[in-house]
Amino acid sequence: MAITLNVNKTEHSVHAPPDTPLLWVLRDELKLTGTKYGCGIAHCGACTVHLDGGPVRSCQVAVGDIGTSPITTIEAVEGPEADAVRQAWKELDVVQCGFCQSGQIMQAIDLLTFEPTPTDGLIDSVMGGNACRCATYVRIRAGIHRAAEILAS
Amino acid sequence: MRKLLMASMIATAASIVAAAALTSDYPKPGSVDRATGLEAWARIYEVASHPRCSNCHVGESGIPMWSGPSYGETRPHGMKIVAGESRIGNETLPCGTCHVKSDRPQTIPHAAPRANGDWQLAPAGAGWFGRSSNWICEQLRDPARNGGMDYLKLANHAGHDVILLWAWSPGPGREPAPYSNAEHRMDIHTWGAAGQPCPPE
Ligand code: FES
Ligand code: FES
Repeated sequence: MAITLNVNKTEHSVHAPPDTPLLWVLRDELKLTGTKYGCGIAHCGACTVHLDGGPVRSCQVAVGDIGTSPITTIEAVEGPEADAVRQAWKELDVVQCGFCQSGQIMQAIDLLTFEPTPTDGLIDSVMGGNACRCATYVRIRAGIHRAAEILAS
Repeated sequence: MRKLLMASMIATAASIVAAAALTSDYPKPGSVDRATGLEAWARIYEVASHPRCSNCHVGESGIPMWSGPSYGETRPHGMKIVAGESRIGNETLPCGTCHVKSDRPQTIPHAAPRANGDWQLAPAGAGWFGRSSNWICEQLRDPARNGGMDYLKLANHAGHDVILLWAWSPGPGREPAPYSNAEHRMDIHTWGAAGQPCPPE
């Protein structure tokens, strides 16, 4: 059955059963492999994308439930927050192996969108669902603070 | 095929009749004795204190609990989750980030439970995780502490809240709340008709 999805401002017709997780369609059908599979059970955050402008774990969203809601992935996320995070991540070399980072970045962009100057406590609460096996947590936190500075300047 | 259809029609008709009978069978106020009311309360307490219910009735802390065979002891929800004043995590990480809204059953073991409503904690005032039978009973019969609900409103709420109904169909690997939702509502009516008696502390 064909389902139309609005991914990164482009309509895609995909053939998948409606209960297929969005993550599989992004990676296997649309070849948008920047979004990663870590656990498939909403425990790691590696698969985070924006749906209707907010973060979701794409391994939990069934494509048949999405309708016309826009989906944004790491490949196309844009705007001042995204630019600030990109710059901060480069400046501080936040990434270690990188596997978790697309999810971290998508979550961090959303955090800065709703709170441009987050405290450590807020960062820890919002980013708590994004695991990093390389334990870059301290650099992620510093990266978000740096991105906040860039946004303010 | 026809036989099957007939059987399912009879089954559907029977369940409608059963539901109708149940609704009209709700006891009238004052028609139930205290002992029967207390027995009904004991079953209500079994439901209210069951992890499928109490894990989200945590009160002011806003921190949901996790429990089940794979957790060993009950523990606070991982990932530093706090549902906040909004009760849906809007102040930090919305519950819906993982607990997506869908009427498709969650079939992946250990995955985030979901329902066709915004996943959320019970209101802060309706907190009773870890409390005694007497404590919860006193809270639920006091309109000043239960959101202004008499027992009829409580029973009605128990039949209509989408997240609450999930407790009886939580998906694979999760034990449902005891009894059925219809029996639970009947128990609330029975307890209410007996004057909402509470067990001693
Ligand atoms: S792959 Fe979706 S949260 Fe881990
Ligand atoms: S950078 Fe390696 S898992 Fe996060």
